[in-house]
Amino acid sequence: MNFRAPGRADALASAYVLGTLRGRARARFERALRSDTVLADAVRRWEERLIPLAEALPPVAPPVRVWSAILARIRAEGGAPRARGSAWTSLALWRGLALTALAAVLALAVSLLVTAPERREGTLVAVLAAQDAKPVAVASADRAGRSLTVKLIAPVELAANRTLQLWALPEGGNPRPLGLLPASGIVRLTLSSPAEQTLHDVPTLAVSLEPQGGSPTGLPTGPVLFTGPVQRLY
Amino acid sequence: MAADAQVQRNARLMELLARTALADQQAFAELYRLTAPHLYAVALRILREGAAAEEVLQESFVNVWHHAASYVAAKSQPLTWLTSIVRNRCLDRLRRREIDTVTMDDEGEGVNIAAEGPAPLELLLAGADALAVRSCIEALEAGPKQAIALAFYRGLSHSELSRHLKQPLGTVKSWVRRALERLRACLDSLGVTR
Repeated sequence: MNFRAPGRADALASAYVLGTLRGRARARFERALRSDTVLADAVRRWEERLIPLAEALPPVAPPVRVWSAILARIRAEGGAPRARGSAWTSLALWRGLALTALAAVLALAVSLLVTAPERREGTLVAVLAAQDAKPVAVASADRAGRSLTVKLIAPVELAANRTLQLWALPEGGNPRPLGLLPASGIVRLTLSSPAEQTLHDVPTLAVSLEPQGGSPTGLPTGPVLFTGPVQRLY
Repeated sequence: MAADAQVQRNARLMELLARTALADQQAFAELYRLTAPHLYAVALRILREGAAAEEVLQESFVNVWHHAASYVAAKSQPLTWLTSIVRNRCLDRLRRREIDTVTMDDEGEGVNIAAEGPAPLELLLAGADALAVRSCIEALEAGPKQAIALAFYRGLSHSELSRHLKQPLGTVKSWVRRALERLRACLDSLGVTR
């Protein structure tokens, strides 16, 4: 099937989301979706159009056994598949962070990391702050891990068609995109190699304001809003 | 739903998803409590079978537990993301059922639409009302509108639509295609997509 013909991607995406794309065509489309960002984007837009129409369905309480089964399964799998320790999940702590000065934030973040049961020793941390030194986000990664967790500690006001993009600013090289950030909350960005490798030549992280979907050029196109030094706790 | 109540609910669900991504079981339980009745209703409609709907709900939430981190708040609303996961699993089951039971068509009946609760067309109008996009649905002709509603809420395939609506397959396919095109133009003009 040619997903690339003009209008084809969108027509297939609409049938996929509506549910009329069936049989082998559906399976093929789903496979293509995993690697084709144009298709994935078309699907996302159709989901935005159609899925909310399901919200008027009268809710039906599922039997209690469903939740018991879910809980049994995730506990059997270890209960914390990709997680850090529980200290990370305490929202009160994070709220507290937003109120403190930059140095205090870093100290707290470090203490959190130290008390969290780490799989491997060694963590990279960056506290990203605005021009006025107000901390906005904390990024952290296990040195051997392939993901970077970013927590926005102060929500950022964003126009609907803008997004935040995180960059590694290497010494003497072009910025490298690390991923898109939500305006609030937590996101886990996947790295192509272990964090210590990805960031080995990177003294600073930065967040720029970009059009929806991220910078079209692969380099920051909007203003840099926040920056922070990368601290290596090992 | 009032717009600000919806904004508040979405903010709450985003927070719960973020905490679920950090393996917070309490947040995950709360996420389930708030969304499972809606998601179960979605699955029941499409699968028309309690046991299958329960299984899909279970698989979906185990999947959410593992992949909550891949939810990107900037890209979709939390309930839209969750509902899509459940719907896709339901449709995948229907797809496998179709492959497994080739003879289903021979039973003639096959599709029992007269199930409990509001009819798909009523649901479509109610859903559109809630989103303030009723005009887009009303602009569709009766046949295409019915076809879209049955496909979306009941998971009917083109051939099932053809049988149920007593129309040739080609007619039904072009109804669905054209209705989707018109819906896209109308919904986008109302600013539904971000």
